[in-house]
Amino acid sequence: MDNYHRQQRVNTFLVPLLAVISGLVVAAVLIIFTDNSPFAAFEELFKAGFGCSSLNRCAFFTTLERATPLMLTGLSAVVAFRSGMFSIGQEGQFALGALTAAWLGFALDLPPVVHAIVIMLAAMVIGGIYGWIPGVLKVKLNINEVITTIVMNEIAVLVLVYMVNFPLRADRGTTAYSPVIDETAKLMIFMPGSKWGMGFVIAIAAVLAVYFYLWRSAPGYEQRMAGQSSLFALFGGIRNDRAAIRGMFISGALAGLAGAIEVIGVHYRINQDFAPGLGFTGLSVAILGQVHPFGVFLVAILFAGVGLGAQLGLQINLGIPRELGGTVIALMILFVAAEKFYTDGISGLRERWAHFRGQKTAVELAMEERE
Amino acid sequence: MRRDIVKAVLRRTPCGNLMANAVELRNITKYFPSSNVLANNDVTLSITEGEVHALVGENGAGKTTLMNIFYGLHRPDSGEILVNGQPVEIHHPDDAIKLGIGMVHQHFKLVPSFTIAENIMLGIEPNQYGMLKKKDEAEMVRQLANDFGLPVDPYARIRDLPVGMQQRVEILKALQREAKILILDEPTAVLTPQEVKELLAVVRNLAQRGRTIIFITHKLVEVKDVADRLSVMRDGKMIGTRTVAETSIPDMARMMVGRSVLLELDKKPATPGEVVFAADNITVTDASGLPAVRHISFSVREGEILGIAGVSGNGQTELVEAISGMRPVEGGTILFQGKDITRRTVGERRKQGMAHIPEDRIKIGLNLETNLDENLVVNRYKLPEFNRLGFMILSAMKRFAAFAVKQFSIAAAQPGEMIATLSGGNMQKVVLARELSGEPKFVIANQPTRGLDVGSIEFVHRSLVDVRDRQAAVLLISVELDEILSLSDRVLVMYRGTVAGEVDPTTVTKEEIGLLMGGSSLPGTATSAGSVQAVPKPQKEVVA
Repeated sequence: MDNYHRQQRVNTFLVPLLAVISGLVVAAVLIIFTDNSPFAAFEELFKAGFGCSSLNRCAFFTTLERATPLMLTGLSAVVAFRSGMFSIGQEGQFALGALTAAWLGFALDLPPVVHAIVIMLAAMVIGGIYGWIPGVLKVKLNINEVITTIVMNEIAVLVLVYMVNFPLRADRGTTAYSPVIDETAKLMIFMPGSKWGMGFVIAIAAVLAVYFYLWRSAPGYEQRMAGQSSLFALFGGIRNDRAAIRGMFISGALAGLAGAIEVIGVHYRINQDFAPGLGFTGLSVAILGQVHPFGVFLVAILFAGVGLGAQLGLQINLGIPRELGGTVIALMILFVAAEKFYTDGISGLRERWAHFRGQKTAVELAMEERE
Repeated sequence: MRRDIVKAVLRRTPCGNLMANAVELRNITKYFPSSNVLANNDVTLSITEGEVHALVGENGAGKTTLMNIFYGLHRPDSGEILVNGQPVEIHHPDDAIKLGIGMVHQHFKLVPSFTIAENIMLGIEPNQYGMLKKKDEAEMVRQLANDFGLPVDPYARIRDLPVGMQQRVEILKALQREAKILILDEPTAVLTPQEVKELLAVVRNLAQRGRTIIFITHKLVEVKDVADRLSVMRDGKMIGTRTVAETSIPDMARMMVGRSVLLELDKKPATPGEVVFAADNITVTDASGLPAVRHISFSVREGEILGIAGVSGNGQTELVEAISGMRPVEGGTILFQGKDITRRTVGERRKQGMAHIPEDRIKIGLNLETNLDENLVVNRYKLPEFNRLGFMILSAMKRFAAFAVKQFSIAAAQPGEMIATLSGGNMQKVVLARELSGEPKFVIANQPTRGLDVGSIEFVHRSLVDVRDRQAAVLLISVELDEILSLSDRVLVMYRGTVAGEVDPTTVTKEEIGLLMGGSSLPGTATSAGSVQAVPKPQKEVVA
């Protein structure tokens, strides 16, 4: 490998890492304003988000539980982005998947395991169809998918609010809840104290499946080519339209699955404010994870841990508002968006370091490689 | 008056003797880390005042980067620039213009809806109390045009002008800004042979008036015609500077490529067989819905190369897109091996044996965001060889990439290589490897040598003749007349979306074909289809 390829590979990891560090540095400044020591605060945050004092008091398991829906909505965004569709419809697909699960969870009467599988498949179909619609609108009528998915998010959330408040309403309290689902529909839990369980395993399987689909299968190849250069795909004989629609269906199915697992694995019922923002966070997870399934896996855990750490460690122990967790995440995304700043900065620093050490700079190496 | 001020500034700069170096670029190095391109590798170039200096090399050899550095569009990593013997810092094109440097880009930077005068005076309009003085503007342009013997109508709108005239406006624009050193970036690429002749005369004339001209090109015949000296670049390096009078064209080619090149193509007579492809009365509209191809009919037989000549922008792009299936036709039928494929998709056409070398390898022909292996299989990933139950067989893709690298001598590439790191010539070899492997029956080659160096051009031409000799039908579309005439067995000329005429490449002269390309008919020959469009547009008032 020559100098350039080596540096490119290092940059793939270095840029997100530097973005995370930059986010933490700016967050440290904000923490100083709350009259706390940033080091103590980060220690609390880490302990509460990633620590594990004993097997049944393990914060990290809760982090994994919370990372599960983020992984799936992140994958949903990856599949859409990789087929050239900037879909931000995960929120709506997630809501409809959750609604489907909440309804089928008590309406169906099936044996254990089968019940859960049927629910997840149904949620995937519903989410998939809800992703397929903007795909078709884009391909057939050239309606911008960003706009349609935003609008359809609103519709899905309002459908959920209506269903919870009227047809599915189970109690007469101030907050409307759907009925608690049957035991047969619930997913297995590994450790008491958190809801970390089968859903996480399914999410890992989805990470691997998306990876193999995109990088090993022929339809995945079509989708990536169409996403990277639609003109090239058209020229080469790939059906761009089909690739886009298929990508949107799969994307919707993954977000729908996320909604279902959140219901049958964690909450067992839904209210009208059910888990808002998990779909949108999935977008951030995909972007910070370099639009790659393995990146999504790591970033989902990071985000869940930071969120949990901010909530338990900062808010409860130090009295720092837990919104700081969200701020840290937002800062990280902001810094990842400034990728060019880092790549330029890194190559500039490399040059100076090489100069300082009396070694060859990238320009000189490039000149030498071409001798 | 702005011109007087600029003159006064220029007078203050110390003037050397007559044969002083107008420009010296010393040890210029420019590296683009994001694409790993060392565009200029320790390049030194001196240009004498009042000469026409040709800068020669393939696209990607670094000549445009060097000129962009000189014009202030890029900053070099190292090296220095001297103008009239003085070291200068050029951070921005404004600095370059103040130093008397003018640049005519390959793609003109004119406002189509403005008049010639408005374009030339853009940003330096004569005004009084902030109000424009249109009459003075036109008068100044008229004066300028007369001074340089380049007549134009100040009130004509750019969008109504032929390309050659637009280029003249670009040159006048630079002259109006007191350019002493004029950079022309591939100025002949878009012109008809007649317009080229005119331009070369203009360039000589400007040099006689003491202007220094840097003429970027890869056409060696033009270098011979117009330049005093030439400098050759290859792979970012300066190979050398020679006096044109003492350098033969094969010598120049050898400098460009680094080895001897066969400039004359050696090909056997064609042995045409059955008709493989036929377009019958097809009409195609462009992206904005205007007709671009009007009622064209032609056929290509196996074992022959049909050339389509014409100035770029006369419907060739749309014709190729329609034939290859990328754009629907509005009317007419397309027959391929006797079957009607008018409504077939690109994939279906390719499956039946159609291959396509597109005019833009970067935007259409390749996916620069992925690697060699994936680029090579876009037309064959569904074959059982590469595909098992819907899964790609990566080892087979890798083997095919290794085969292509060897068979088409794609230098410096290995399976898994990112396409973006390859040079222009090697990128085109990747396209050829993909399109010409697997015995295609019909090959569309649209501008297959655009922007390539002499060595790569030779390779592309050889490959096309070879595929013809294997009895494939070849449709060659090119704006390079020499290419059309040396490769084709029959030649059609396109003008404004129609066929202006068919000529025999062995007997036709360049002047005759040039007339057809410009929309005139040949004296004494009846041209059929294009005769309605073939009347030249009446020229607007031209001030002599």
